[in-house]
Amino acid sequence: MLSQRLIGRAAVRSAFKPSGLPVVVSPRLRRTYATESEEKDLVIIGGGVAGYVAAIKAGQEGLKVACIEKRGTLGGTCLNVGCIPSKSLLNNSHLYHQILHDSKHRGIEVGDVKLNLAQLMKAKEQSVSGLTKGVEFLLKKNGVEYIKGAGAFADEHTINVKLNDGGETSVKGKNILIATGSEVTPFPGLEIDEKRVISSTGAIALEKVPEKMLVIGGGIIGLEMASVWSRLGAQVTVIEFLDQIGGPGMDLEVAKSIQKILKKQGINFKTGTKVVSGDKTGETVKLEVDSAKGGKPETLEGDVVLVAIGRRPYTEGLGLENIGLEKDERGRVIIDSEYRTKIPHIRCVGDVTFGPMLAHKAEEEAVAVVEYIKKGYGHVNYGCIPSVMYTFPEVAWVGQSEQELKKAGVPYRVGTFPFSANSRAKTNLDTEGMVKMIADPETDRILGVHIIGPNAGEMIAEGTLALEYGASSEDIARTCHAHPTLAEAFKEAAMATHSKAIHF
Amino acid sequence: MFAATRVLRQAAAHAERVPSIKFIGRRTIPTSVDHTPKPHPASPTHSLPANWGSSPSFSAYRQHAQQHGPLRKTIRPDVDGIGGSPGAALGSVNPPQGLYFDRNDLPARFRRQPLTEAEIEAIESGCGFA
Repeated sequence: MLSQRLIGRAAVRSAFKPSGLPVVVSPRLRRTYATESEEKDLVIIGGGVAGYVAAIKAGQEGLKVACIEKRGTLGGTCLNVGCIPSKSLLNNSHLYHQILHDSKHRGIEVGDVKLNLAQLMKAKEQSVSGLTKGVEFLLKKNGVEYIKGAGAFADEHTINVKLNDGGETSVKGKNILIATGSEVTPFPGLEIDEKRVISSTGAIALEKVPEKMLVIGGGIIGLEMASVWSRLGAQVTVIEFLDQIGGPGMDLEVAKSIQKILKKQGINFKTGTKVVSGDKTGETVKLEVDSAKGGKPETLEGDVVLVAIGRRPYTEGLGLENIGLEKDERGRVIIDSEYRTKIPHIRCVGDVTFGPMLAHKAEEEAVAVVEYIKKGYGHVNYGCIPSVMYTFPEVAWVGQSEQELKKAGVPYRVGTFPFSANSRAKTNLDTEGMVKMIADPETDRILGVHIIGPNAGEMIAEGTLALEYGASSEDIARTCHAHPTLAEAFKEAAMATHSKAIHF
Repeated sequence: MFAATRVLRQAAAHAERVPSIKFIGRRTIPTSVDHTPKPHPASPTHSLPANWGSSPSFSAYRQHAQQHGPLRKTIRPDVDGIGGSPGAALGSVNPPQGLYFDRNDLPARFRRQPLTEAEIEAIESGCGFA
């Protein structure tokens, strides 16, 4: 009986074989040995610079990836409300200011120059939307599933997502990457309304040029925004608690120099000054300030107050408590050297964890963390991350500053070269600033590079490469640089460090 | 004449400056990487919390679990024992010439499963049902 039936089954098979038709198996007969898994190799929470770069890299490495972002556009703070829009405003406000104040002696006479703030903002928005759409395309190109919504840990492998369009979904991952970035640190007692008391987000979207602007915090963000609105006509005062502007890492000599330059451009500074309280109930916003040591109280008034005292890690609504992940006293997710949290398949990169809150640092970490997941080996050199302040002139640095070396008791040698002695800077009539190089006196190995000058942000790449490769100042001094270029100042500073500059 | 030139060339070669930056060839991933948790280089405390790695999670357990050796240990050809060499290095799984494996020698889960009545019915009817 059975054998006859088996022959019958063979006949059935052979009857279907020659036809070449697709075999459609009835659901009743499908033998399923394993259910199809929806689990991703990597689920990334956050589509900012850290998140989207990790997503693209993981896609390139052949991983199945999902990237969850609630903003509605990719790129995070940097692309949407940070580096990119501010650079648009910095560039265009510089052009406006230059046409207005720095064209006549160059032999260019212009007529009535007017500011069209709405168009300035539109140009900014165009750059932002072009770049964010570009990132979305790159995710698609690399096979990344982009989920628009807010993700929260349900358990160690599952992320529940509240979708922006309504409804919920969940996604499982073998590996999970936290890349939720940072948010503006609020100033206690002065609520940010993004109209009169603004954060950096409000500072790139003001509808009119304020007459008087107060900036709390003389770090990079504060000084860049102070530059924009000062150029557009606002009377700007920067209040900084420390005795130097520029924030941590900026070389003291450089900080003093750029403060003088910016003061000459019309920005007022109150360093060594603390803001005691703020009041925005009146027509203007009032700040009670005092000397950092106390004893010199004063009231300052402004139409707009920019709070730029820093940023803090953003983990709100992430459900870290559901999986028992801890943060340090400053709200940073604690990780080890391979970006693992204490739950090893959950890793974390970018602003939300240790290190400077810089987009390019986050980007480096994003690539490294995917390499750790895929290949077990990654690389980020935290001693070699450049910083740039996009004022005019720009300020850029990498490696250690003089005061850091002094504090650590490390011997060093310094070489400088001013742009006033550089031929290209002379022809451009942009001669403010200098290149300062710091090297080990014994080995000549470069320890730090600090630049104030036009295009310093581009020039620092050469210093970063030299530092990463462990170059000596003589290596740079003996490398041919094209003439006439601003980069020759870099070579001459290396010559000054190693022996003597030719043109100074 | 030629000897003098050679001496000059040699002298020039010795005088040539060797830059600090040297090409060290194509980079490769180190063959042995220590994945033991270490503090992040940018960690302000330069240390990991005391309870690091003691998470009750299954993933954390896997980091330390043993099953014929550590679960996550890389296969190393220089180590003997189970897991000491990759499967591919063990040779063909096919029987030697002239010998045949009998399906019935295999554990029960690998043996031919008896057909169910529904399967027999389906085959005989030529799958002609919904």
